[in-house]
Amino acid sequence: MTVHSPTAQHRSVPLRANAPRLAGQWARRAPLLPALVFLIAVTQLPFVATLVISVLRWNALDPTNTGFAGLRNYLAVVTDANLRSSMLNTAVLTVAVVLASLVLGLLLALLLDRRFLGRGVVRTMLIAPFLVVPVAAALLWKHVLYNPEYGLLNGVLTEVWRWFGSDHPPQPDWISGMPKLAVEAALVWQWTPFMMLILLAGLQSRPIEAVEAARIDGANAWQVFRYLTLPHLRRYLELGGLLGSIYIVQNFDAVFTITSGGLGTANLPYTIYQTFYQAHDYGQASAAGVVVVVVSIVIATFALRLVSSLLRNEAS
Amino acid sequence: MKRPGRTIAEIVTVLVAAVVAFPLYWMVLAAVKPADEIVSTNPRPWTLRPTADNFVHALTVQNFGRYLLNSVLVAVLVVVAGLLLAFLAATALTRFRFRSRTTLLVMLLVVQMVPVEALTVPLFFLMKSVGDVAPAFGLNHLGSLVLVHLAFSLPFAIWMLRGFVAAVPVELEEAATLDGASRFRFLWQVLFPLVAPGLVATSVLSFIHAWNDFLFAKTFLISGSDIQTLPLALQAFVKPDQNDWGAIMAGSTLMTIPVLVFFVLVQRRLVSGLAGAVKG
Repeated sequence: MTVHSPTAQHRSVPLRANAPRLAGQWARRAPLLPALVFLIAVTQLPFVATLVISVLRWNALDPTNTGFAGLRNYLAVVTDANLRSSMLNTAVLTVAVVLASLVLGLLLALLLDRRFLGRGVVRTMLIAPFLVVPVAAALLWKHVLYNPEYGLLNGVLTEVWRWFGSDHPPQPDWISGMPKLAVEAALVWQWTPFMMLILLAGLQSRPIEAVEAARIDGANAWQVFRYLTLPHLRRYLELGGLLGSIYIVQNFDAVFTITSGGLGTANLPYTIYQTFYQAHDYGQASAAGVVVVVVSIVIATFALRLVSSLLRNEAS
Repeated sequence: MKRPGRTIAEIVTVLVAAVVAFPLYWMVLAAVKPADEIVSTNPRPWTLRPTADNFVHALTVQNFGRYLLNSVLVAVLVVVAGLLLAFLAATALTRFRFRSRTTLLVMLLVVQMVPVEALTVPLFFLMKSVGDVAPAFGLNHLGSLVLVHLAFSLPFAIWMLRGFVAAVPVELEEAATLDGASRFRFLWQVLFPLVAPGLVATSVLSFIHAWNDFLFAKTFLISGSDIQTLPLALQAFVKPDQNDWGAIMAGSTLMTIPVLVFFVLVQRRLVSGLAGAVKG
């Protein structure tokens, strides 16, 4: 977890012994209160509301027929083939994108963690995809790269085939041919820079003395990476994996833009959006929302375990 | 003397960077290409006839200027309100000791962990009710977006600022108190300027959060075309029969520029800020 020893900061707290105890306690909390109250009002209370709505029979198209539904909405979520496939899609999408961008991000961070001419420019170029507005990035991939007629990918294929004297290059229709991979590739392109940034911060905080000592003792580059760098990066890998999972589980822009949830790519955010805005089934949409929370906690835990166990094996 | 392995690694890095950034180059290129070149079946990686037509078209015909203003308004309000709230909260969490402080810290993380799709339904109704009391913050108003983005960017902002506040030596506060400064004065005249780098990094993240949002805009702004934000407007450009690719790419370019500029300005601080968030 990213909760790191808040107790360590108790030391830095100045003593205020003369203040009346109870009043003092609240005066110290006071600066925190505006943010806290606001957060509870906008994020926690609605979640409680979601829990309540999820056990109600409430469809706006059938307003007279409302009431307590028990676990029927959840049953519908779990048995509905569409929802089940969108649940699976969400899990696959999240795990695939997070793992791929973590690995690629680690490689790029290692490459960038040394001085060379033009490093600043190269770093900015590598970070740039993360800075593109997600909707714009999705539009870019869908129409400018994947388009079968005038897209960049097929343009490159045509060019490469021409070098070898062929006039009949393959011109695949990327999105309908491999819809899931198309969405994943666009997301990995956007999220790798984020992982790279976090891991780069980790690499730069690595104690250089230990590395030098290991080198003097005759460790090669791989050994230094495996026994020093990787264990040091563990927290950063975890942070990247956790934040990445949180964001990808919620991804709506890419799925909505690239495939409009068609071709079997609908994930939970998209399905909930549809249940809410097209089917107007508030109860079922809320139940699906609760399932998302559970799924994301499971995924985050699973991803963290995986990363930690990998590192533990590496270190032993 | 360099080892050959290093040189190869550097060449690989530069090549990878070129491939990764190429789609962006392509986006900007499409924005300045004349219309007939964009949909050519034989795309060329340059243009001999650069034009500003696409930008003019996006800003005037597609009313992009208005949406740009909407997006800026939402993002700026989120950043300003977020800075004040996060600064106060981070100070309290770092500097003051009180019961359940750790619990509150963990709670902030939990808030961040709840996926937005679990909240869209009740938030929709919440905004509907808010609209009955304060119409400017209700459905179909930009204020509703300010409220949700503020809520979703605060936890991370507080976590990040904590590291910066903790880095300011406690002795400074003691000295200020001895010199007769009230706690209020210390907060705004000493601590606030000292954590400015952290505030900058934090506000960039909050800005990007609000600037990028599509789901909430799509959920809360249902009717009324002149209250849309940029991501919504960009989507609306895409029409099944006739797509104005030049204008769409010009719009995408315009949207990316502010984020890019901010980021380049605070790059270094952001990396140290992330490192600070990990170290706690």
